Amino acid sequence: MLILGIETATEQVSVAIGGHEGVLGLFEIGRGRRHAETLVPAIEFLCRQADVTLEEFGCVAVDVGPGLFTGMRVGIATAKALAQALRIPMIGVSSLDLLAFPLRHSDRTIVAVVDARRGELFYAFYRPVPGGVQRVTDPQVGRPDDLVADLIARGQETICVGDGALRYRDAISEVIRVEFAEQWFSHPSAAPLVQLAHARALREDWVNPWELQPLYLRKPDAQINWSTRGGV
Amino acid sequence: MLALAANSLAATHEIASEIARLARTGDLVVLAGEMGSGKTAFAQGFGRALGVTDPITSPTYTLVHSYPCGKHLTFHHADLYRLDRMTELADLALGELLEADGILLVEWGDVVGSALGDHLEIRLTADDPERPERRTIEIRPIGRAWASRWSTLEAALQPYREGNAPC
Repeated sequence: MLILGIETATEQVSVAIGGHEGVLGLFEIGRGRRHAETLVPAIEFLCRQADVTLEEFGCVAVDVGPGLFTGMRVGIATAKALAQALRIPMIGVSSLDLLAFPLRHSDRTIVAVVDARRGELFYAFYRPVPGGVQRVTDPQVGRPDDLVADLIARGQETICVGDGALRYRDAISEVIRVEFAEQWFSHPSAAPLVQLAHARALREDWVNPWELQPLYLRKPDAQINWSTRGGV
Repeated sequence: MLALAANSLAATHEIASEIARLARTGDLVVLAGEMGSGKTAFAQGFGRALGVTDPITSPTYTLVHSYPCGKHLTFHHADLYRLDRMTELADLALGELLEADGILLVEWGDVVGSALGDHLEIRLTADDPERPERRTIEIRPIGRAWASRWSTLEAALQPYREGNAPC
């Protein structure tokens, strides 16, 4: 079965086609136009070059975050629309899982860190296990100080990965026994997305397009206090 | 806090452009004031001074309008009037707009002020029924973002200080 993977949780736009032999094609760009202008032409380009038509896909995989709202809403809306139109199921994978998975051959604890902007980070800890990684903490949102405190409290040999880790590298490097993954690992990619989704697709571990939910990690909701809006 | 008086629409535009001239990327300006107090008029003066040439219209129904001003600056104009819940505010991702070389002006932003971080609050009041174009404009820095520019801003707006304004 062919899987279309769509990833837009950070500044990068990443699209991949995956099959049982692995990643068949990957388009990835980290700068330039905005997600909404790049994503659909990228899907079209990749399909055309790989000689795959949309009808051949059996599943759409998408990064469900946490990440930038401006990117995620484009990626998730596009993925849902395609899946719904093609009448195929979807598989959602967390951006943090996508960052951690390529480091599965490390013997260190992995912390995946996405830059949430305005001084905040999304992060989760993972440990390498045979064949993959296992998440050991829930994804959370915090400031760089919170992450540093967490790293110190754990005191483990750790490898940090993600654009959030690079942005706050100086603050994080103060913790001993921490190292950083290479820059080209620092955005979630649609390549591990289609790999992880393929394993789940074999188990039919998927959802309907209308059931897929983004992972926003937002603050608790509250009513806006509109005492000033008057009687309108 | 700076209390100014604008006696005409042109004076409101001039005050807005003085503030825009001191604005830099990453800045957030909150516009407060009742319906019809001149928030969109202020935004028009502000956007013009940043170099926007397209017509600047009210974003009440479209939530956010973005106007590119050259390669490295985008002026974002948002209006929170139609929002009811804080999750809807989160959906707008205003913080992300600011980080990408943006200057953001938010109408009705005062209702969620503390959720927006450091900003400049500008409150417009139409308080003289005899003179329909007259506005009292109060400017208040929230947080440290404008601290180093405050005295320059005060000097630039000196001619409009309440009491100084020519009739």
